[in-house]
Amino acid sequence: MAYYAGVDIGSTMTKVVIVSDRIEASLIGPTGPEHRKLANKVMEDALNRANLRFKDLSYIVATGYGRINVPFADRQITEITCHAKGLHSLLPTVKTVVDVGGQDSKGIRINDGKVVNFVMNDKCAAGTGRFLEIIADSLGVPLQRLGELSLTAERATPISSTCTVFAEHEVINQLANGEPVANLVAGVHESIATRIYSLVSKLQIEKDIAITGGGAKNIGLVKALEAKFGSPVLVPPEPLITGALGAALLGKEKCEKALRDGYTPTRSKEGLQEAKIFS
Amino acid sequence: MTGLQNSNGLETADRYYAQYGSRAKELKNEGRKVIGYMSALTPVEILTAAGVVPLRLKGFMDEAITKGDAYMETIVCPFVRSVFDAAIKGRFSFMDGMVLPHQCDSMDRTSDVWSYNLGLPYWHFLNVPHVTDDPSIEFMKEILRVFIRTLERFTNAKITDEAIGQAIDDHNENRRLMRELYDLRKSNPPLISGVEMMKVLVAAMSLPVSESSALIKNVTEEVKKRKAPADGDRKRIMIIGDQIDSAAIAEAIESAGAWLVVDDLSIGGKIYWPEVDKTADPLQGIAERYLRKLKIATTFVGEGNTYEENLEARFGHLRERITGFKVDGAILFIYKYCDPYGFEVPAMKSYIESAGIPVLYLEDEYSTSTLARVKTRIEAFLEMIA
Repeated sequence: MAYYAGVDIGSTMTKVVIVSDRIEASLIGPTGPEHRKLANKVMEDALNRANLRFKDLSYIVATGYGRINVPFADRQITEITCHAKGLHSLLPTVKTVVDVGGQDSKGIRINDGKVVNFVMNDKCAAGTGRFLEIIADSLGVPLQRLGELSLTAERATPISSTCTVFAEHEVINQLANGEPVANLVAGVHESIATRIYSLVSKLQIEKDIAITGGGAKNIGLVKALEAKFGSPVLVPPEPLITGALGAALLGKEKCEKALRDGYTPTRSKEGLQEAKIFS
Repeated sequence: MTGLQNSNGLETADRYYAQYGSRAKELKNEGRKVIGYMSALTPVEILTAAGVVPLRLKGFMDEAITKGDAYMETIVCPFVRSVFDAAIKGRFSFMDGMVLPHQCDSMDRTSDVWSYNLGLPYWHFLNVPHVTDDPSIEFMKEILRVFIRTLERFTNAKITDEAIGQAIDDHNENRRLMRELYDLRKSNPPLISGVEMMKVLVAAMSLPVSESSALIKNVTEEVKKRKAPADGDRKRIMIIGDQIDSAAIAEAIESAGAWLVVDDLSIGGKIYWPEVDKTADPLQGIAERYLRKLKIATTFVGEGNTYEENLEARFGHLRERITGFKVDGAILFIYKYCDPYGFEVPAMKSYIESAGIPVLYLEDEYSTSTLARVKTRIEAFLEMIA
């Protein structure tokens, strides 16, 4: 059996997926400075979980912001291409993907598993996971509880600022005015959904629509997006790993194509080494 | 022409690129007057005819703006702010004067800020019109006459029609030479990389026309001798934008595994294709070239009967370049807060896409600090069109 790994080093989370003809193991951990330096540690944990050794892997593809910091990867592919590939393998009917990550959000249009167009947000936290983290912090609500809490809101308090810093001011002012926290959280979801919707609208949106990334774990945000798109938004079983899964699958495809073309792909790198970039 | 005879072209280009303006500074020390100017809209023929050293001003993408923002509002486009910052920090302290043409609001409305804070012996704001009809050509000729008179007063020398005619010939020759060098990028792979070409373009705009032509000739000779490497299956990219004057973006494109084979930039394709026609009144030809032939976002008014005809008149040259240079994908790189180019994005994008060429639209700062994000988009675009 041949095994392939995908490593997705995001701004916030690091994801590893190992595949054969099925998903053998997946692992998610916080990126942080230490984890980025120790990309091999995350890989080792994933290998242990799959009961495999490093030399069992035929090919490794790295993706995400930290893709250049994975010294043992055979190849780097951007998260755009990897997300499209991974999501297509899980939900083949999807044509528009919205990815809400820690430091950016993006929209990807897919046709037959291939990217046909994409957009990414500006270098600004509006419409990203960071926006949610900051608001959760100022409201004193754990990030994981935002979604459930927003579902109990009587109404969504309108938040007019898209700028994260100004929106935080606005939320704090509203809090001082006695606005219930649940309404504010619903308002924040509404605001992010508006921002993401206008970003993704630059693509010709086609159904089905799916959401990936940390934002997909927030039921309030998913519902707000469904209202904007006027259509259900599909969520894969583990929305964080689609990029890593796509990376692993692209590696597999590359190797299988090489075999069909009559040569045996060899791994270009030997063993696990720490990235030296942050040392 | 010192400094050029005993060194090869690419090395010289590299040096002038890295030490921008160093040749103008040398000439200043030899007693020449150096006039800095902004934008493709300044008629360099007039500066050449006046016998001064024209220096196209540029910003520095890898330097943070540290002084300029104290004098100039941040609503001004990041490119203009970077050039101003460089000027106020003394990067062009050897300049005797400066010309600022009315390309856009960011230049027009900062005129006072430049002239007051730089306090140069010569200052001229060139009020280029933005419509291209016949009365505007008359207006353009008139402001060229005013421009000539100010230069004559400054240099204490008459600028004759003969001198202008000679300058027109020299600059047309310079443009022809540069297009010959561009032709060497038509092969697959191109004989000169996009990074090398960016450095040549930047070096060329810092030199008097005769030295610029000598440099281009040297580079062409040198590049012609190269054997094309057998690495021919990379995507061929065209970049479109205004003053992109750093090799960093070309580097980002080529390190992602593509060739930058042609451009429509205001330091490259935009200025080297259109020539000045020889007319009885030389100012007629100059006015027509700068107002009508230069495809700058601020000086084009549709003259066609239909929207399609206007698009063809405005962007038709892009289609020629796509075919001529066998372009696989176009990158449209617009600076933030650039209204004139920003307004054109949807039309330009759909025009190029209708020619079957995918377009990546990037809007970014004039700074290398954001290049990592830009690189991810470029790589994803190349993966998409692979």
